[in-house]
Amino acid sequence: MRSMKKYCILLSELWLCAFFLLTGCAGTKGAEEKKSIRIGVSLYRGDDTFLNNIRGELERCAKDFEQEKGVKVTLDIQDAKGNQNTQNDQVERFLALGCDVLCINPVDRTAASVLIDKAMAAQTPVIFFNRQPVAEDMDRWDRIFYVGAEAKASAVLQGSIVVDGYRENPEKLDLNGDGVVSYVLLEGESSHQDSLIRTEWSVQTLKDGGVPIEKLTGGIANWERSQASALMEQWLEKYPGRIELVICNNDDMALGAIDAMERAGMEGIAVVGIDGTTPGLAAVESGKLMGTVAIDRTQYAGAILAIATGEALGWEPDAKLEFEDGKYYQCPWQIVVKK
Amino acid sequence: MMKSMTGKEKFFWISYGIGLTFLFLLSSTDLIIKEEEAKVHPISVIVEADSDDNYVNFRKGMDLAAVELNADVNFITLYEKGNRRQQEELLKREQQDGSSALIVAPVNGEAVLAMQEENQLVLPLVFINSETVGEPGTGKTAAVTFDYFTMGEKLGKEIAAVRSPNEKLYFLENEAMSVAGRKFMEGIRSGAAEGSEGPAASYAWAPEAEKGKILEKLTEGWTQKIILVAPEPESLLEAAQMLEDIEGAKEWVTGLYGRGSSVPILNFLDKGIIKGLCITDDFSAGYLSVKAAIELAEGGAVQTGNYLDSYFIRRGDLRDEKYEKILYPVE
Repeated sequence: MRSMKKYCILLSELWLCAFFLLTGCAGTKGAEEKKSIRIGVSLYRGDDTFLNNIRGELERCAKDFEQEKGVKVTLDIQDAKGNQNTQNDQVERFLALGCDVLCINPVDRTAASVLIDKAMAAQTPVIFFNRQPVAEDMDRWDRIFYVGAEAKASAVLQGSIVVDGYRENPEKLDLNGDGVVSYVLLEGESSHQDSLIRTEWSVQTLKDGGVPIEKLTGGIANWERSQASALMEQWLEKYPGRIELVICNNDDMALGAIDAMERAGMEGIAVVGIDGTTPGLAAVESGKLMGTVAIDRTQYAGAILAIATGEALGWEPDAKLEFEDGKYYQCPWQIVVKK
Repeated sequence: MMKSMTGKEKFFWISYGIGLTFLFLLSSTDLIIKEEEAKVHPISVIVEADSDDNYVNFRKGMDLAAVELNADVNFITLYEKGNRRQQEELLKREQQDGSSALIVAPVNGEAVLAMQEENQLVLPLVFINSETVGEPGTGKTAAVTFDYFTMGEKLGKEIAAVRSPNEKLYFLENEAMSVAGRKFMEGIRSGAAEGSEGPAASYAWAPEAEKGKILEKLTEGWTQKIILVAPEPESLLEAAQMLEDIEGAKEWVTGLYGRGSSVPILNFLDKGIIKGLCITDDFSAGYLSVKAAIELAEGGAVQTGNYLDSYFIRRGDLRDEKYEKILYPVE
């Protein structure tokens, strides 16, 4: 009876060893042989200029990665059209189609838990970008990451464009010579974490830099050129000859303000933006935009792709990426003004 | 004291249990009723361009078809625009990776057909934006495309109608023009020649050169004004940008025409920098090409041969409901 018991224990141990050996070997082999990965990308809105720029760069980075590493990268990019339910459906479809990793620009950053639930159930890592989910959601799993750019830094740099301009030539900003720069403010979505921070720190930097300012009015244009244009048109009528500076939370809204100014035949009002989109940079070059604050798009998209490929292939992410708390990557900003 | 169950009661409870089990198996498992497994068709779209700038509406149509017709569509651009070898490698790769049909905007349509004839490609092919149509009806190929020659001819006639004899017509050509671009230009030449006898010439388009010098060269030795025609969407966009940036360009260039329906091109039409534009219903082309690919993958023989419609529009047509639906499709 005792020998029988010993025999059973021995047999169990052998099975366990065989199990671990086999599963271990299979795992290594699978990782080595993976020559194709699929990444599901969902954008909160496909017509957002900044995100379109990032999307284009992401596609370019994926091609470079394919050529360099010999691993096929399939990017499945979908537009959620500003609808969280649509985005939830897209994520379900990505998972059903066997995506190895998800890159999500959430419609509603406070509703990311639904997406995380689905991804965790499928053991598919998620990289959020541009719109940061709340910390409680980010902390739910160690395979959730965020790639973005620090809002405060962008706003401080935006403010410093105006401060430098004022110090160089106060008349260029104080158009009516009353000793005060009267400004209007175009803000992004109220639910986006960057809107409030950009607004607060941009104005604070002007105050800290010694620019005498007076706020005439402000409004939410939801990051959109057309909405900003409509608001600016109203303000130009309401404050004739008084607006001297337009501070915008992003380039699209800055371009919208410029559109309204051009329609009204107004010149000389300084406009500053943030993001460094392609049309924004062109406007700086042509002198229509006083300045903008840009991220290195290649670095931004490259970080998303590096994390995604690393997670999908089991490779270590690029050593150059410096994460905060092991999951937040913030891209640095730089000032762009006409030389 | 509990009363023991009678035979009838036992029978009732056992039948009740069996009934419940049967209903569970019927509704929640596929042991009794086998649910038909929805087959997902993996389809690869490989275009001749290195970006999807001119395929935005096409992709929308493609994505809609993917959801409605249960396909898994992978849109692929080349590493380098117009590189035939790369496209052939990608076609082979996608075949190897399990695609059930290939949609291709060929760099060289005949070469792709030859690959199929030599059995390097055994999958059905759907040609888009191409003069190559293969052999529709055989189950091996289909085509969803536009008649670029007729489209160009239509534009040529429109230009001829507004052109004065002393206006010189310039074609912005380059060596890497697509087959569609070449056919489109042949059509414009044919249409423009019918209506007027003014001078025409080609200019080797080099957008990387200094913009000021391009205009200087275009107008060199000429006292009359010029009309520019760009046969490719890329050169049309670059020329429009040039005209917007150069002061006084409008004095020399009385018209810029071409083809394309991307948002930046439409914005230039709206600004009046582009005078007239040939547009195509790319959304329908995207949808129909995926539909054709699925039909071929399922063993059907798609009868294609008819070209999709193309239209000539001016600035005022942008708000026309008919064209709005084509240019800004809602998925």
